[in-house]
Amino acid sequence: MLITYETSRKKSEIRKYSVYFLIVVITGLFQVVLVKFFSVGGITPDLLLILCIWFSLSEGQLKGLFFAFVVGTYFDIISFDVIGTNTLAKITAALIAGWFFGENKINRNLGTYRFIIIVFIASFFHNIIYYFIHIEFSQISFIPFFFKYGVAISTYTSIVTLIPMLLKFQRNKIIIS
Amino acid sequence: MQRFLKFVKAYKEYFTFVVLVIASLYLISIGDVTRLGGFRTVVIGSIGWLQEMFAWLPDTGALQTENKALRDLNLQLSNEVIKMRTAIIENQKLREMVNLQSEMGFDAITAEVVGKTIIETRNYYTISKGYKDGIYEGMAVRSDAGLVGVISGSTKNYSLVELINNKNVKIAALLQRSRYDGILVWEGGEYFQLKNIPKSWDVRKGDTIVTSNYSNKYPKNIPLGIVVSKRELPGDIYARINVRPFANFLTLEQVFVLKYIPDPERLKLINQIDYKLQLRKRASSY
Repeated sequence: MLITYETSRKKSEIRKYSVYFLIVVITGLFQVVLVKFFSVGGITPDLLLILCIWFSLSEGQLKGLFFAFVVGTYFDIISFDVIGTNTLAKITAALIAGWFFGENKINRNLGTYRFIIIVFIASFFHNIIYYFIHIEFSQISFIPFFFKYGVAISTYTSIVTLIPMLLKFQRNKIIIS
Repeated sequence: MQRFLKFVKAYKEYFTFVVLVIASLYLISIGDVTRLGGFRTVVIGSIGWLQEMFAWLPDTGALQTENKALRDLNLQLSNEVIKMRTAIIENQKLREMVNLQSEMGFDAITAEVVGKTIIETRNYYTISKGYKDGIYEGMAVRSDAGLVGVISGSTKNYSLVELINNKNVKIAALLQRSRYDGILVWEGGEYFQLKNIPKSWDVRKGDTIVTSNYSNKYPKNIPLGIVVSKRELPGDIYARINVRPFANFLTLEQVFVLKYIPDPERLKLINQIDYKLQLRKRASSY
């Protein structure tokens, strides 16, 4: 009985991580190929970041860090960026998001406005780190840099977070009902 | 040791974070990973194929950016075209001036026209050279086309040119073809008038007028203008001849100052006779 339980638990874990893997691959390709069509003033939302934060909030901070490391490296490869830049930024975001993790808070964190706020905060620090590496401060002074790369991109990413948040919210409602 | 392990276990997330940050920084520091080169090529190819699949979708952001860049480039190129055209014209003018300088027979100092002035109804140019460049009062000034005027004063860096289109200016002129002498004057308007030419003298439309040897103020054989019309008025023994000057006073930008000073002895003789005649005139009027 225990063995059966363990086997089925492992199978469901494998299935879960396979689904995550697929989502990461598809989201990464979507981010590289299609997200530019949704740009507003040259700003695009970071879908993989939303995914990393989602993972941190549902699986915990430690697993979130490893997940973010893998996702960041993957994204650096497919976006022809310097390998390590997205990695560094995403593990920082995963660390910050992981502070909000709680076993009994998963539904509340993911299915309510809390998710949007957590994404905004984590995204803000993610973008500051990422663009700090890329931008030369001779091209732009700090305040425009702060507002464009810190606030604006985070805001747009948070707005897009509404979609998974509402999906989770609907699912929670179905489960409760 | 156990306490250390306990400590690490308690803060495992932070230790993991630090290790992963170090790994990320290491990846950044090694830059372009050549070992991934082949794999990256496959990735580039796949992404490129995917992007091509969606290339038909209009990307307004990219179009806006491209349009702005093209507008900026267009402006920059049109400015460069204007500069190049100006440079071509200037180049042509300078070439003509260089050729002319070698033909003139006088040493000449080139100068730019920096100002145009009217003093007591007389027209003057200010040029950008003065006595430190060897320019003195009395020197004739011409353009590549023809006579412009005479230096009426100079300071260290600037000189004033009295133009020939002034009512007090009289120039001893010569019809180049028929070798007849006359006096070229300006009575206002577009044309000069060639005076003291009898009706019977051979003067035709298109004849070139040059400065005459009789002029003490200007060197000889400097082009003045071209005959545009000859009218014979009844009761007048002289023909009325209109001459268009070669020099275009409206568009002149560069001039030559001829290092020619009128012969002082000749000037002195003329002034002496002029003075005597004036005294005689005054005496006869009393």
